[in-house]
Amino acid sequence: MAMITYIQALRDAIREEMRRDENVFIMGEDVGIYGGAFKVTQGLLEEFGEERVKDTPISEAAIVGTAVGSALTGMRPIAEIMFADFITIAMDQLINQAAKIRYMFGGKAKVPMVLRAPQGSGTGAAAQHSQSLTALFTHIPGLKVVMPSTPYDVKGLFKAAVRDDNPVVFLEHKLLYPTKGEVPEEDYVIPLGKADVKREGTDVTIIAGSIMVPRAIEAAEKLQAEGISVEVVDPRTYVPFDVETITQSVIKTGKVIIAEDDCKNAGWGAEVAAKICESEAFDYLDAPIKRLAGLDTPIPYNPKLEKAVVPQVEDIIKAVEEMVN
Amino acid sequence: MATIVKMPKLGLTMTEGVIVKWFKKEGERVEKGEPLLEIQTDKVNLEEESPADGIVRKLLYEEGKTVPILTPIAIIGEADEPLPEIERAAAPTPQEQTDETEDYIKASREESDVEKTEKPDEVSDNPSIGKYGKIKATPAAKRIAREYNVDLYQITGTGPNSRIQAADVERYIQYTQTPKASPVAKKIAQEKGVPLKDIQVESGKRVMKSHVLESLGGSKTAQQEGSVLEEIPLTGMRKIIADKMTESVNKAPHFYLRSEVDMTSLINVREELNKSLEKDGIKLSFNDILVKITAKALEKHRIINSRIKGDKIQMLKPINIGLAVALDNGLIVPVIKNAETKSLAQIARESRELIEKARNNKLTPDDYTGGTFTISNLGMFDIVEFTAIINQPESAILALGKIQDRPVVTPEKEIKIKPIMNITLSCDHRVIDGAEGAKFLKTLKDLMENPLRLLL
Repeated sequence: MAMITYIQALRDAIREEMRRDENVFIMGEDVGIYGGAFKVTQGLLEEFGEERVKDTPISEAAIVGTAVGSALTGMRPIAEIMFADFITIAMDQLINQAAKIRYMFGGKAKVPMVLRAPQGSGTGAAAQHSQSLTALFTHIPGLKVVMPSTPYDVKGLFKAAVRDDNPVVFLEHKLLYPTKGEVPEEDYVIPLGKADVKREGTDVTIIAGSIMVPRAIEAAEKLQAEGISVEVVDPRTYVPFDVETITQSVIKTGKVIIAEDDCKNAGWGAEVAAKICESEAFDYLDAPIKRLAGLDTPIPYNPKLEKAVVPQVEDIIKAVEEMVN
Repeated sequence: MATIVKMPKLGLTMTEGVIVKWFKKEGERVEKGEPLLEIQTDKVNLEEESPADGIVRKLLYEEGKTVPILTPIAIIGEADEPLPEIERAAAPTPQEQTDETEDYIKASREESDVEKTEKPDEVSDNPSIGKYGKIKATPAAKRIAREYNVDLYQITGTGPNSRIQAADVERYIQYTQTPKASPVAKKIAQEKGVPLKDIQVESGKRVMKSHVLESLGGSKTAQQEGSVLEEIPLTGMRKIIADKMTESVNKAPHFYLRSEVDMTSLINVREELNKSLEKDGIKLSFNDILVKITAKALEKHRIINSRIKGDKIQMLKPINIGLAVALDNGLIVPVIKNAETKSLAQIARESRELIEKARNNKLTPDDYTGGTFTISNLGMFDIVEFTAIINQPESAILALGKIQDRPVVTPEKEIKIKPIMNITLSCDHRVIDGAEGAKFLKTLKDLMENPLRLLL
């Protein structure tokens, strides 16, 4: 298997899906000639031409609205928003249109589109270009929400998202783009709704998504030296959500930390904690569930403060040590 | 003042009992001496009477629960007595603790359990008990406590805010429900994750390193083979049999003496006697007559009717003969006390009663303790002869085979068909030498072949 970057795996997924199905096309700000703000779409214009790799005006509402309309007429659009923060401008198209149409037409119309965008802090991009907004989308019925953490997952999940007949919000993380991992050459799809145990352990379960997965694994490896065995579970998709895999891990370890780089208040970690308490795992909990999340503040521009407001490897280690006592 | 009913200790070997049935519900009136509950011990079912008049205020355990002896199981009091304090006071207190338990309890709490039980009104100083007397424990700790019937109020948590965590409950169970163990055994058991309570040792013995290693080896092979059809827990009567038989074989060097007995006369005598006893509704079995004959033979050979106590051999005055009775799930040995003083009719009546009680699980500890010699008969299963393991602390056991017609060479050098019973005596060589055993067996054989000598 080849060791490639997250960005390469994502690009391969887009390319392979466009080759596989001529109805798949991509559009967004600077995705064509410039090759994407983060170079995800580099080389696609050359291969597929302007018809299928479309540069758009700076209008997120127009990008998402066009995606919804073309999806309704039989295309399978991939819409890129340069920073996930600006999906907010397209919220009407996303929430009131994309998420509702299939339901309101009694299933006779469908909206097979992928809205993909990088989110998260750590690049010094300040408060308007650094948010993680996963929880906004998981709240809306009719949207599927995916947040991959590895090159392998991003490729397999992206293909599943393109092939899904529902609108999928596909949230990448800027800091994950250069990370490398093994990815098979052949075509594979990771079904939506399947969590993945990224590392097995017995003392405590860390439920982590996106950038928090590599941080949790690094913490787990350091904690291993102290004799603490940490299991890392990555939900991978937040809607639909794989309660079973998480429940089984919690039953095994009895202790849970939920690590997210979103803000804490009403974050997806709160939802996961509630799901655990509602499951058979409740009777196996041997400590209060701990949420390790970003502070409820905008992301600061100052690099030190920027790091301080979002959980880092040391924060995870400390939380685990406190919990395992 | 409320009365706390505790799980009684109904026999020497009893460490816990199962609450089979409550005869009273909470809130019902009960009179002193009225049956309150039925208890199942390792060997028998018994009815326990209420120790006081009053209202059954609280039943602390459900039917079917196993409870250590001397643990409070119910509270009887007046209808208007305040209950929460009583409930606290009645929280199960392991009374027969090992040294380690005491250390643990002391370490984990400043005040001992016993004191607390005696002073129910005093506010607990267990930091794991929070506001309104509520226990601070994690869901996992509560679940384990439920499964093992552990009272969380007895535990001090080591988690944040003195919260009781699963490990605290497990440690408590480990200390309170395990036998004594050597430090090395404990260490290995902990390292290998073997619960000490699951390790089989002779009753009253400490768990040693070898026991732990044995149990490790054993479980491994069973797992590797993957050939287990069904697992039967080695508990209750099964465990007692396992412990006692292993102890006997390990401790007592057995030797065996065999003899063949011509049963012609005994068969005739039994028929005659049964004819005359018919009107009294008594029917003598061969066992009944053999109890009488054995008692007579033991009177002559007192060394067979003895036991080892410390560094002495004690020859015993009473001749109490146990009869091994097979049950569906084990065996029990009810004892006919002072058999030498009893008539055949008395023995017949008594053994009938005991066997009946044994089969119905109704024996009292008195019925099956105090034996000095045991008879085991497998003739009804067509067994020609067998060797039995001595029922400690007795020194010998007699094994009877079936009566079979066999060709026998008579003193007149003729071959005759005679009903023959093979009998085997197992002796503890620490107490009995070959010649002594042989002399006893000879007396026994003579009496069996000439039962009229019983009259002498």
